[in-house]
Amino acid sequence: MESKTILKQDIAPWLESLADKFEVFAPVTEEGVTRFKPVSDISSADFASQSKALRELFTPETETLFEYRVDGTKAEIKEADVPAKERLVLGARACDAAALKYVDAVYSMVKPIDTPYFDRRARTTIIGMFCSNPWWSCFCTEVNDCLVNPIEMDANFVDIGDKYFVEVFTPKGEELFSAPQFNLASDADKQAVEDVKKAALSKLPAKKAHDTACLSYDWDHAIWQKLAQKCMGCGICAFSCPTCHCFDIMECSKGKSGNRFRCWDTCQFEKFTTMGHGHNPRPSKTERTRQRVFHKFKYSVERYGMLGCVGCGRCIALCPVGIDIAQVVNELEKV
Amino acid sequence: MQNELRSKAKELLQNGEVKAVIGYESGSVPFKSTPLFAETPEEADKLIWNPTCVNNLALYLPQIKSMGKVAVVVKPCEARNVVELIKEHQIDRENIVVLAVSCAGIMKFDALKEIGLKEIKSIDWKGSDIAVETSGGQVVIEREKALLDKCLSCDIVEPVLFDAMIGKAVQRQSAKVSTIAEEYEKLSPSERRAFWAKQFERCIRCYACRQACSGCYCKECFVDKPSQTWVSKRTDAEANWFFHVGRMMHTAGRCTGCGECERACPMNIPLSLMTKQICRDVKEMFGNEAGMDAESSPILGSFNAQDPDPCPE
Repeated sequence: MESKTILKQDIAPWLESLADKFEVFAPVTEEGVTRFKPVSDISSADFASQSKALRELFTPETETLFEYRVDGTKAEIKEADVPAKERLVLGARACDAAALKYVDAVYSMVKPIDTPYFDRRARTTIIGMFCSNPWWSCFCTEVNDCLVNPIEMDANFVDIGDKYFVEVFTPKGEELFSAPQFNLASDADKQAVEDVKKAALSKLPAKKAHDTACLSYDWDHAIWQKLAQKCMGCGICAFSCPTCHCFDIMECSKGKSGNRFRCWDTCQFEKFTTMGHGHNPRPSKTERTRQRVFHKFKYSVERYGMLGCVGCGRCIALCPVGIDIAQVVNELEKV
Repeated sequence: MQNELRSKAKELLQNGEVKAVIGYESGSVPFKSTPLFAETPEEADKLIWNPTCVNNLALYLPQIKSMGKVAVVVKPCEARNVVELIKEHQIDRENIVVLAVSCAGIMKFDALKEIGLKEIKSIDWKGSDIAVETSGGQVVIEREKALLDKCLSCDIVEPVLFDAMIGKAVQRQSAKVSTIAEEYEKLSPSERRAFWAKQFERCIRCYACRQACSGCYCKECFVDKPSQTWVSKRTDAEANWFFHVGRMMHTAGRCTGCGECERACPMNIPLSLMTKQICRDVKEMFGNEAGMDAESSPILGSFNAQDPDPCPE
């Protein structure tokens, strides 16, 4: 599909022209936290800061599945509302989009597939934003090639000065860029994109064969105990991760009515694997830290044929005790 | 001072006096440190002491009690957390060797935002300021811009409790209150309620605040009880409010205002505003400052017949 360009000043009128059909989401910084939120004015978007994972839009922290009301022998069930408008995401990072391929695989592995999740996926058009300035903890290039070959995006914007270069990947994307604000990309534009990409890649680590090395990771490696000693046991790594997807299902009832909801949960919490009768197969942080690394780097390869880590670096940037998952796997692969 | 710390740690490990020395080592990048549990004299060589050593290591003491006697590196302010843990019988005094390091203040991560992080080689103190060595030369960040708020207003020179002091005690400059705290003080109770509702709304319940708190040592937190749902797992403002306020109230009298809860928070919730207020209330109402007095009883664990408040009938 042919590449286009759009002047930065034309982004706002273009998005306005889409407002009837789409609710537009972009990374917005409020109170020092950058998250994907609906934006009415695109100038409020923050494409530079490290945002929370895009998957929040697909796996919300708390999601009501249905509400119910019981009256005698009658029960009334109200399914969760589906918003009328489609969603358009502008500014997805390549790692975040690539992570969706993984979450898709998880949520479709067992039938019936996860309907609320796939409804949201189908209703969302994703436009990426190339990472011209990777953050200090980024290591996507070490685990995959999503930065140069993006997946799960309909299009990708590359900042080339006063305009964005638009790489179009799907017919859904192509339709969006038939608007008058877009021009066909020139050879000079194409060269500019190459330069931006080359500069970004020079700041990132080289590819490593984690996907084959992982098969011989040592279950009893001394590192697990060392990690367990300093890990605080919070859920930051999992809750900031674009591929983590675990949830708990709870019910909240009051009298004759109530609702069932799901909310984020993580293998890093002690209660996650505690059974009804009290036994916990992962009783200490030693088992739980190993589970996180093994799930991302070993079980995922065995089960889905892909790594469960996209190298976004959020867990590294946010861990309060400085645990670095890239350092951990490199330690495991030392011979 | 780093060498002094290393040789002291090695000595303790070589003599077999302690099973481990908990300190800091360099993280995966030069601008971050990470906790180190040195169990051999060789590992003690990895110990560092510089302005990136932010964690409050008292957190780990109850968790590694089964190891036996251990040494812990603390800043003078953090000795208070060790005192509280001893007073509340979470650790035994005779099983802890407190290595207090003299401290000119710890750097906040945000102080580095104008420096290319990948260019940083090392970070150290320069007088009372912070010197960052980069590939392009040294950058000095002034104390006021570089240090954590708690360090700017810290007036602790001598730790309350220590077995060995590493380095000379640092004299402190005058206190400074951050702007957000000043603004907050002006709010009425209803405005404060609205303020916190907005802050807590974005909490994702990762429980980093609780896990980072050396005072949160309960075997099972009230929010984790599987058989009693004290608080919903929903991440709405109401449930989040209940968790945070419940947790804070439980730490009243043992919270030293170390600020680890706020630093750990991935959602930038200014929890220190609330902890500071609790510390101040406890001081005003009970004349107690957590960890400042090794002899007194913990306020939540003592009874005073002269209490001016009437006993509920």
